[in-house]
Amino acid sequence: MNEKSNKLKWHLLFIFTIGLLAAGIYSASQSINYKWQWHLVWPYIVDTAPIDIIAQSDASAAINAEGEITLTYDNGDPDTIITNASEVLVYDGDLIFEGDLVARSESIKSGLLIDGLYMTLKISVISLFFSIVIGLMTALMRISDNPFSKNLSILYIEVIRGTPLLVQIFIVYFFLGTIFDLDRFTAGVVALSVFTGAYVAEILRSGIQSISAGQMEAARSLGMTYPKAMMYVILPQAFKRTLPPMAGQLINLIKDSSLVSVISITDLTKAGREVVSGSFATFEVWFTVAALYLLLTSTLSWAIQRIEKRLATND
Amino acid sequence: MTNKKKYEGNDMIVTVDVDKIYPNGCHALKKVTTNIQRGEVVVIIGPSGSGKSTYLRTLNQLETITSGEIIVDGVKMYGGETNINKLRENIGMVFQSFNLFPHLSVKENVMLAPLKVTGRSKAEVILEAEALLTRVGLAEKMDIYPSHLSGGQQQRVAIARALAMKPDMMLFDEPTSALDPEMVGEVLDVMKSLAAEGMTMVVVTHEMGFANEVADRVIFMEDGALLVDDIPENIFGKVANHPRLQKFLSNIL
Repeated sequence: MNEKSNKLKWHLLFIFTIGLLAAGIYSASQSINYKWQWHLVWPYIVDTAPIDIIAQSDASAAINAEGEITLTYDNGDPDTIITNASEVLVYDGDLIFEGDLVARSESIKSGLLIDGLYMTLKISVISLFFSIVIGLMTALMRISDNPFSKNLSILYIEVIRGTPLLVQIFIVYFFLGTIFDLDRFTAGVVALSVFTGAYVAEILRSGIQSISAGQMEAARSLGMTYPKAMMYVILPQAFKRTLPPMAGQLINLIKDSSLVSVISITDLTKAGREVVSGSFATFEVWFTVAALYLLLTSTLSWAIQRIEKRLATND
Repeated sequence: MTNKKKYEGNDMIVTVDVDKIYPNGCHALKKVTTNIQRGEVVVIIGPSGSGKSTYLRTLNQLETITSGEIIVDGVKMYGGETNINKLRENIGMVFQSFNLFPHLSVKENVMLAPLKVTGRSKAEVILEAEALLTRVGLAEKMDIYPSHLSGGQQQRVAIARALAMKPDMMLFDEPTSALDPEMVGEVLDVMKSLAAEGMTMVVVTHEMGFANEVADRVIFMEDGALLVDDIPENIFGKVANHPRLQKFLSNIL
């Protein structure tokens, strides 16, 4: 009971400190006369701007009792029937010319920031898959006795870990991209997968090597080939053991994906920059962008913790 | 005490002049020559570092040899075209540290190799695994993970796992050395029943009682060399003939 109330005290202190921090940020922004305008961010999350409906060529308009607009084209094209107009800008019987605004319809679209979030998610998930494939292959080459595979993997790991990701992205996009005619997205995925793959390789290698040699011996003594022993005995154990550092590396992948904005991929970061220049709500936008990244990373970290818990039931 | 079997006279394992020199220069095996016959139980004793485990591990090529020849069931182990994986299917091995697969349940441990190596039907493999585990007295533990078992239970699972490949011979590398004293008996009992069924067994152990009771032959190794190769009566009864064996036995008994 005493211990419980003691813990409660610290919980309260924690909440108080967070509140203090928020108040600090607020008052600091007050001191530079910043006016918070969170409503400016909203359209970039959910875009409710109505869509303009424009006549494709010269036509005459007819409006029936239900409010449906029928455009009959002079050149004999099939009629256009507009049923979802929220705002009608023509009268019954009007002559319409090509390019005229006929009506507006309501629409709810994802805003620029959400599109960026989706791009970040897409590029991260694809790169995550390839980085694990590359990492696994490299790790297996790294621990093999064959000098060719071993040296190749060491060279790859050292080169990738020894150069900045930003430089790698430029090299992949401008050098490889020009030679192999890669589009931006592919170049981004290649750069991120190759970069993260090197780190995943080292994590997996240490995981494989942490499994006692007796496991491989037991598997081989049963007549299993090396690949089968790896697949059914060593790797399942190594994957489980490397989950915590792997989670960290994959979270890094999501964050590193912000660098692909330099090759004009409209990911969350690039979307953030565009929204700032459109809305001038600098502080609000970047806080929102940070929160969206946090949403992705914390979801991933939660998912991996779930897997860890499920696997832990064996020990 | 004597329960010697009649041999059919065919050799299961033939080792000729086996030498093993590690890259660091350590001479682990020196001209080891012996034949082990079908159905024979051979116990290898000797001080630690005498090369007895190394010798055992060369018999399924977990250790390679530097020179000499090993012929298992008529197949040259170091011949250029020998399929070592095929050969190993026929040689069960039990380790000092059990080496059960911790991510698999007891039953899955036993089933893994028959499923993945021989590719037999799952239904058949399940039935066999259950029969084997019942035989080693673990019928109630089939769906448990190895970490929840005692050492003795784990070692019995390891024996069942090796038997699942239906080997013609079994190698035991100090199977009871990592066990609490009260669990040694249950493992030795399983091994005794295997011996009684006529399984060819090579056992590295410090259990002199087991050697005396079950072995057809006892091999004493020291410093990488095979010093004494005799029936248990002569090993334990006439130690005076072998001064170094006498010294070893007086140290451990």
